[in-house]
Amino acid sequence: MIVPLMDQILMALGMGILGAVIFAGIGLISGSDETTTLAPLTLLVVLLGVPAPGVLTFFLAGAVAKHMTHAVPTALLGIPGDTMATPLMREANFLRNLGVPHIALRKMISGAVIAALIAVPMAVLFALMLAPFGDMIKQAAPWVFLLAAVAIAWFSKGRLAAVLTLIPFVMIIVGLQTMTAQFGVKLSVSYFLGIAIGPLIAALFSLLAPAERETMRRQQVRTFSLSPDVKSWGGFFPNPLKVLDSKQSLWTAITAVISSATFVFSPVAMTVIMGELVGSRVKHVYHRLTTVITARNGVTESTYLAEALIPLIAFGLPLSPVAAGPAAPLFNAPPRFSVDATTGEVNNLHSLLSTWEFFGYGLLAVVVAILIAYPFTMNYAHRAASYVSRKISHEAVISTFVGLILVIGIWEGGLLGLLVIVTIGLLGGFLSRFLGFNIGVQFMGYYTAVLSVPALVALMNA
Amino acid sequence: MKSELFEVWGDTVDGRHLLYSIGIGAAVSLGAFFIAQHLLVGWVDSAQMARAYAMLVGIVGCLAGGAISALLFKPKRHVIEHLADPALRAKILIELQNEYGPLGSLADLPPATIAELREMDLYELFADYEKGLGAPAKSPAATATVGVGAVSGNGGQS
Repeated sequence: MIVPLMDQILMALGMGILGAVIFAGIGLISGSDETTTLAPLTLLVVLLGVPAPGVLTFFLAGAVAKHMTHAVPTALLGIPGDTMATPLMREANFLRNLGVPHIALRKMISGAVIAALIAVPMAVLFALMLAPFGDMIKQAAPWVFLLAAVAIAWFSKGRLAAVLTLIPFVMIIVGLQTMTAQFGVKLSVSYFLGIAIGPLIAALFSLLAPAERETMRRQQVRTFSLSPDVKSWGGFFPNPLKVLDSKQSLWTAITAVISSATFVFSPVAMTVIMGELVGSRVKHVYHRLTTVITARNGVTESTYLAEALIPLIAFGLPLSPVAAGPAAPLFNAPPRFSVDATTGEVNNLHSLLSTWEFFGYGLLAVVVAILIAYPFTMNYAHRAASYVSRKISHEAVISTFVGLILVIGIWEGGLLGLLVIVTIGLLGGFLSRFLGFNIGVQFMGYYTAVLSVPALVALMNA
Repeated sequence: MKSELFEVWGDTVDGRHLLYSIGIGAAVSLGAFFIAQHLLVGWVDSAQMARAYAMLVGIVGCLAGGAISALLFKPKRHVIEHLADPALRAKILIELQNEYGPLGSLADLPPATIAELREMDLYELFADYEKGLGAPAKSPAATATVGVGAVSGNGGQS
């Protein structure tokens, strides 16, 4: 009994290290969206048959590491590292202009360390409080998803437009599924990837349209000013509690606890709101900038961890924006993981791991990510930012993602898989750009199509 | 032919280079996937596992395609090493005031933050700003101007 457990822990540790290293690297590339990168790679890990603890540590360590290294382009180059970094831009730019970007960077990642460590036990605690309602919610899954889709759409940028757009969007998915079923092809990953990568597909199509191409044309390359390296501390692994003052640590802890509980809200919105909450309580402007940026980056960690862990532990259903998006493969990755709406039967990490395993492996993942990403960012931020901005062209990034679309599409469903990715990607990309029908709402649209629509049809026939 | 620059997916690319990169990415990733699938179906017992491994090789192919494109095509970015100009810092304070309202007083700060400000050479900036506020408290516009003057060294109210 002891030996297999040791094997499991070592394997989970290995997958955690792998996730942390890969996503610490991806975090350095500005604009590398979480869903676009975390979802496909986690899916790959699931489908390759990695045992459940390893899948969990890979995802969590990846998310935690990415939300530390995303501070590098955000603080040093003035461009958001990813979607979650956008609410940090205002404070980061002021600190950069004051000539102290390295302070912004260190405060951000130290806040991330504290919040990530707090979020795991908090998420488990809240999940235990919600678990008694789990069976009830599973029974009502099709309707819960329908309600969640409408709610998430309403709180997106598109408001009523997004709610109404759900109807044609769901129709298209149902139609595509019926069409591929005639050829005996059942797809799911292709829909995920199409939704996640939609903005790129929409941009590439726009480039082919003469009128759109003119608006995308640029006369000169963009100029980035990289802040010089300043190292004002000794050693390799500074204590995050010494980088922050007591007030900053306290606010980071408070916002981490609050944002762990509010797992159904958009993580970007929580980051903004928590920042405002802290900002209104700090008087001096310098102290406010550093405290807000610390707490906000802490929230990017805690809200991600809680939004993935709480639905996993309590329901096994992807009932949060993170669970429906970047963490989707932890819930649903056919043929290995599945959610059956009609019976409420769940076969995924929820059924494979106990609450204590979630707690233990969750903490393991967070500690691994901290041990890798924190000293890396503290010591090599400047060199890393310089290398990425000077050596890795945007063409190369796009080339990698185009390869990903082709391989995953053809692997899952041959030509049909590829066509579904392009169709959903183009549609979703434009709906997101013009109507604010964002990626999270699109994922909920997918779940509505596969979970709620069959139940609706059954209800109408009854 | 002159290079054509476009902004695609958040950054600037050269149209021709983008076209080549997509071609390279497609060829290398799909090539890796199909070759791996062809070879592995014979070797690995389960056809499903063979396809999963082929996908993994295909993903490595995506990265290889990206690496080739990165070697062939340089980034369309102009990166300059640049420290924010100290003379402009005073201007930033005015921007901060416009954004957040009153900047607050140094007296409210805990000792750790004061030490941090001194270490960053920012303490004087904020201190001078406060003095500038104290002397002629007439209109907000006037105080802001005095704030700038104080920093550039002609305040002399100490």
